[in-house]
Formats: sequence, structure tokens, C-alpha cells
Amino acid sequence: MPSFFLFDVHLQSGMSADEMLRAARRFGYAGICIYNEDEAIMPSPDLKLNLNPHIYMGIEIRTDSISELRRKLRRYWSRVPLIAVYGGEEKINMAAVKDHRVDVLTHPCGEKWEGKELKHQIPMLKYAARNGIAIEFDLNPIVKSRRSERVRILRRLHENLKLIRKYRVMPLLTTNTRSIYDLRAPREMIALASLCGMEREEAIKALSEIPAGILTRRWKKGREVEQL
Amino acid sequence: MIMREKRRYLLFEVISDGEVAKHGLQNAIWDSIYSLYGDTGASESRLWLVNYDSGIGIGVLRCAHRTVEKVRAALACIYSVDGVRTAIRVIRVSGTLKGAVSSTFYCTRTPPRSISI
Repeated sequence: MPSFFLFDVHLQSGMSADEMLRAARRFGYAGICIYNEDEAIMPSPDLKLNLNPHIYMGIEIRTDSISELRRKLRRYWSRVPLIAVYGGEEKINMAAVKDHRVDVLTHPCGEKWEGKELKHQIPMLKYAARNGIAIEFDLNPIVKSRRSERVRILRRLHENLKLIRKYRVMPLLTTNTRSIYDLRAPREMIALASLCGMEREEAIKALSEIPAGILTRRWKKGREVEQL
Repeated sequence: MIMREKRRYLLFEVISDGEVAKHGLQNAIWDSIYSLYGDTGASESRLWLVNYDSGIGIGVLRCAHRTVEKVRAALACIYSVDGVRTAIRVIRVSGTLKGAVSSTFYCTRTPPRSISI
């Protein structure tokens, strides 16, 4: 059985990383990657605070400006196991995927799907595939929405999946976990992913092989040599 | 000709921040499956809540063997029952009720009300 990893975990006040890991392990995950949203949460830029080897402390960069994004990438690159960029705006998506230091682009169409659809962001997908940047496939909106809203989200996820397959971009399945009640077991995630047309093997890969590869920077090794 | 369709029994655990009553849970499961698959999909699933112990938050659900994945997805879509935040986790799937409830997990379970972590 593959080792499943849960990404896009946000810790809310009153919950420690260890508690979240214990809950996630009970659901069948081998490890979790916590996204720290703001610099204010982590006072030091040196985020090597991993107490448990199964907890990975990543950073999620949220910004509206490209220059600030570059500044933050310079600051965090090689200091955290994972750099994610909160997308949604087309210019931020594009700037993020052009930079090989980014590991994951989260919410490429916006958290509430207010951004441009992926079919209007084809060059962005090509860059993401070239630079080994995973695109987040958030299943939380399927869980939280009902009726016509869910129909619209499922249709857009279907379309996004087609494009992700066509341009060979790495999808990353998440549930935007903010508490233990947002956790879903890997098999449930696979069942949810099948609602938007994802095959079982694809879903397993998006929960195990791709996250493990991101954490070991499998797709970035060549780049690191270039940098040296 | 085989008339009796195969069934699957799903042992599940409810993780919630308060007590979830059986009636409320049953409604939430049906709402979720109707919402996802419609009337025909819900009828094909042949869903039945066999047992649910609200004290320890563990229950058994019966469904048609072809619809286990659909039921899993429907259970995963439940995030609140009667205003109580909830997550449902399928512990095991078995072809017999005895097989589902004889799991060591079920026998040695401590009350998971506020997820004993």
C-alpha cells in the first residue's frame, strides 16, 4: 500500500501540529504538510522546526504583487521543505509557475472559483509542467457545496482535469484542511476524486507519489545543481 | 437466475464535536446520496443504516456491493449533522455483518466523542 500524504493543512489556534498528525495518521496518512500562511505566524524565516519527521512545515505565499512574490521566494527558498503559492489571479499564477522554486500552486482558479478558468490559462499549465510544479486539486468545495453550486464546481473540475492530463501537469489532491473535521481518509478522497472523473490510479498517485516527490524535490534536483 | 443482490457492510466512525443522533445521521446520509446521485442513484445503492451507536459514534451501513465507492463519496460529503461539525470515516468494508462488526477496532474502541488524540 502506498504512503499517503496530506497537503494544504492549516493549523488553527488551539490545535498543535502533533495533534493534527495523530488525527491524520488515524485516517491513514503517513505524513502531513502544514502550510503556514503568513510570516507573522512564523517569526523566524528559518522554519526548520520539524519535531516529528512526518510533519513538514511548508509556507504558502499569499500576495497580490509579483515583486513581493519574488522577494518572498528569495527569502524562503531552501529554508522550507515546501513552497506553495496561493493563486487565483492570473498574473500571480503565471509568475508562480515560471519560477522553479515554487513547488505547488494552490487554488489556481481562486478559493471560491472566482478566478479565470484553467482553459484560459494554457501557457500557465505548460510552464507548470515544464518546471515540475504541482497544481492543487482542492476537493473541499465538493464537500461544502450543494445543488447548482456543486454542479458548477464539478463541471469546472472535470474541465481542469482534462487540461491537466493533456499538458501532463501534476495534480495534488487536498481538502484544504483547517480542522480534524475537514480530514477525509485517502479512500474517501479517491471516491471524491472519481466524481470529477479522476481514475483510481491517478488519484492514488496524486495522494502518494506526487506529494512524496515534492517533499524529496524529485523534480527539482536538476535545478538545484544548476543553481550551485 | 440470481435474484438476491450482493451486499456490503460498511463499518464507519463518526467524528464530531458533539453528539450525533441516529435520526439526524440517517437524514444526513440520505440527503448526501440524493444530492450527489439523484433518486435513481440513491435507489440503486440500496442503502440501509443497520446500526448506529451514538454513544461511541460507530455504526454499520449496508449497501449494494456495486455502489460502495458511491456511498464512500456520499459519506465523505457530509460535513455537518444537525449543525454539529462531523466527519465520517469508513473503517472497514465486509461482505457480512459479522465480518464488519468483528473487527478488533470495534471491540477495543474507546469513545471517540472528541477524537481521543
